[in-house]
Order: sequence, then C-alpha cells, then structure tokens
Amino acid sequence: MIQMFHVTKSYPGDPPVLTDVNLTVEKGEFVFLTGPSGAGKTTLLRLVFCDEKPTRGQILVGGRNVARIRAASVPYLRRNIGVVFQDFKLLANRSVLDNVAFTLDVLGTPRSESRERVLRMLKLVGLQHKAESLPQKLSGGEQQRVVIARALVNDPTILLADEPTGNLDPGLTLEILDLLCEVNVRGTTVVVATHDATLLERYQKRVIRLERGRVVADTAQVQAVRRTG
Amino acid sequence: MGAVAKAEVFWRSALQGIRHQPFPHAVAVLTLAIALFALGLGRAASDAVDHLLASLGSDVQVTVWLKPEASTAEVDALMASLRGRGFTVRLVTSRAALERLGRELGSTADVLKDLGSDPLPPSLELGVPPGWREAAALRRLAQELQDGPAVGEVDWGEAAVERLGALARALRWGGLFAFAVLLGATVVVVSATLQLAIYARRGEVEIQKLVGATDRFVRAPFLIEGVLQGLTGAALALLGLTLVFHWVAPELQTLFAFLQVPPPSTLWGMRRTLELFGVGAGLGLVGSFLAVGRALRG
Repeated sequence: MIQMFHVTKSYPGDPPVLTDVNLTVEKGEFVFLTGPSGAGKTTLLRLVFCDEKPTRGQILVGGRNVARIRAASVPYLRRNIGVVFQDFKLLANRSVLDNVAFTLDVLGTPRSESRERVLRMLKLVGLQHKAESLPQKLSGGEQQRVVIARALVNDPTILLADEPTGNLDPGLTLEILDLLCEVNVRGTTVVVATHDATLLERYQKRVIRLERGRVVADTAQVQAVRRTG
Repeated sequence: MGAVAKAEVFWRSALQGIRHQPFPHAVAVLTLAIALFALGLGRAASDAVDHLLASLGSDVQVTVWLKPEASTAEVDALMASLRGRGFTVRLVTSRAALERLGRELGSTADVLKDLGSDPLPPSLELGVPPGWREAAALRRLAQELQDGPAVGEVDWGEAAVERLGALARALRWGGLFAFAVLLGATVVVVSATLQLAIYARRGEVEIQKLVGATDRFVRAPFLIEGVLQGLTGAALALLGLTLVFHWVAPELQTLFAFLQVPPPSTLWGMRRTLELFGVGAGLGLVGSFLAVGRALRG
C-alpha cells in the first residue's frame, strides 16, 4: 500500500530530515512509527499525503508514484488518505456534523446522503449524540474522535495519524487507539506516529523506529528473520 | 457527484463564510462601496462633460458658398446628398443673404442701397451631426464639396473645430486614464481587503485541502462571496450617488449654471445603474480571485 525507496528529504541549509528511508506497509496493516522528537516521523507522513515532496527517492502510494505527482492530482490522491493530527484542526464555528461532512462536501455528496453517512460515522466513534455540538464543547478525546470520523467518512484506504493522542490523558489515549484498531480491523491501512512507548508495548503491532531521519528498527523485518530462521 | 450538489455546497459555504466572519466582510463591502461610489461619480462627471462637448459641438456650422452660376438641379442634388449623410441643410439665397446683412448692419444698412442687386453669393448652411464634428472629417468633406461643380468655397471654422476636438480628446483620455488608475487601485485595495476575510478562514482552507479539495473547489465559495460583496457594495454606492444627485448636485448646478449641464439624475439612467452593479460584481470577483489565489499559493 505504501512503499518508500531510498527516500531522502532535506531543506536548504539544514541536515537531512530523512535519509535513505526504505520501507513497505502492506494493505490492511497497522504500523506504529516511533522515535524521538525530530526523528522525522511527521515529515514521513507528510510525504505520504503529498504535503511535501522528497528530495530524492520514490514513494508509491497505492501503486502511484507520489514523488512525481502533478500538483493538480494531489487532491484526488488525498481523497484516499485520511489524516489525523495532534492539534485536531477542527472548525470552531461549525457543528460536529458540519466538521465531519466537510470531507463529503469536497466530493460533492448531496446533503441528505452526506448527513446519513456522517451520522453513521459518528455512531461508529460514539458521538452520534453530539452531532449538533460545537467542537469547543467537547473533551479532547471527543474532539479527536470527531477528527477520526472526518478522516474516515469517505472510506479512505489509508489512515495516517500524527501523534493522535499527544494531547490526551491516558484513559482517552487508549480509547482513541482502540478506535484506530477497530478501523484497521475493518480493512483500512493505519499508520500512527507516536513517541509513547507504552502504546507500542500494549498493542503489539508492527513498529518502525526512526532516529535522526533513518529507519533504525522495523519489527516486521525482525519477525521475518525469525520466521525464516 | 452532481454539479447541483457542488453548487449547493459552494453557496452554503459562501453564506456560512459571511455569517461566521461578518467583520471582514463588512470591511470588504464598505471598501467596494466607496470605490464604486467614486467610480459612479466619475461616470456621472464624464456624462456631464460629454453632454457639454455635444452642446458645444452642435454650434459647429459649415457654410458652403455656391457659385452664382450653379444650376438649381446641381444645388438640389448637393442638398439631397448632404441630407442623406445626416446634415441639416438650409439654403440661403443671394437675396436672403443681403437681407440678413442689412438686418445685421442696422442703422447703417443704407450703404447696401448703392450696391447692385444680389451682390452676395447664395450659400448652404449645414448643421453638423455628431459623427462629423472632427477637424479631419470636416476637412475631407470641405475638400469633397470644393471639387463639386456648384461650390465656390467652403468655410468650416477650422480653428474652432480643432480646438474643440483637442479639448474633447484631452478630456476623454484624461477621463480614461483617471478611470484606469481608480479601477486598478480599487482592485488592489479590494483584493487586499478580501484577503483579510480569507486569512480569517485559513483554517478552513487548510482543512479543505487536507481532505482533497481541488483549488477550484476552495476558490468557488470565495468567488461567490466576492460577487455578493460587489453587488452589496454597488447597492450602497447607488444609495450614496442618489443622495448626492438629489442634495449636492443641484447646488453645484446653480454654481456652474453657465455650463448648462442638465441635472446628473437625468443623465444617470437604468443603463448606468446596471453598469455600476456589473462593475461591482466584477471587482468583487477579480478581487476574490486574486486574494484566494495568493492564499492558495501561500
């Protein structure tokens, strides 16, 4: 689903943020991307949803080389990728329903159909009773669930989450991670960037560790070695 | 997915944008209203100047002196040809010319008694239609008439016509330049003001792009808002112009009565109102297009 070949990303005057990154994330996989602050986790996710272009290397998303994608094609690619941020990025003056419907508005979905799909998605994340509330009336965990609903409402094949629990207390963190696991069980490929080691231990998923822009560990490779050995 | 659903989204988004950010929109509408008010005043002034020039131009007269030996048939053919081109033609016979001169001389008219009968040549006095009130056109006409068999001489007030033409050209080019400067400045100011409104909604633009909105999709509601702001600004400008025409213009007209310009309210018709709304919508559209373009590039 996601493949990176010798990907390097650097900005003029600074050392590379990512250096010669090679990785593959299979369809339907759940992957934790971990590493200390500044390791390149966010940049890696931004490369996948075309918010940045790599300086060198190739990136295939769903078989498409996004390193060479035309700017006009980026929106169509993003419709297959849901993105969740630590800082939510919700519209404060729009209801929960309108915030989630935003994704469907872009696709030109008729309002009646959009409302039905949004309510179904809010039910999935346990917020159907808050459809008409404004985001600031919700707790941090609830706001993050709205963001997840917004990211998933158009059935993307990939969900990228950048420190989705960074602002949440431990109880809400597990709630959100459970929700992401549930989404993954339904067939969506999920990549979660986090530096929370307790989550990695608790969920026992594949972990890719980045340090100073390089992949220094990948549990998938370890398991593969164990299987062949 | 349907165009109707998208159009519905654009309109809803535009109206929500105005509802959620009333202050930047109010500033944009006010800016547009002031700019359109200034443009409207300029247009009214330009109409008044056009009217003034037309009234001065109607005084332009061409006198065609006929040869005494010209036949009636030749003179009739010449008059028909001139009338066919839109000139008003008045035949002044030798006798009529002499009588007119006598009236003009008044008490000293007796000197004419010593002259033989009909010493003055007959002539045609032409009223010049608007399309011919230029030195070049009249010079061509004079040359053409001069070459005719019945015409002795043509007098078309060359110096006066050239001065009038130069004045008209200067006023038109000056007006056009002022209009272009004002329009350009308006687009810049309006686009900067609209950018404030867009800046206030940068979060919305960011999220739209994040969930896969094309630039066209992001732009459309802002363009609708721009057009709505332009139309609202035009309505306010029209209100201001109406007040000026009814309260200030009569005072100015009294002050400059010698110019004999009719009241602006009589020159400002439905066409000018439609122009104002058209320019308002256009300014809003262009201003939004530039502003949202900058926001998308940023």
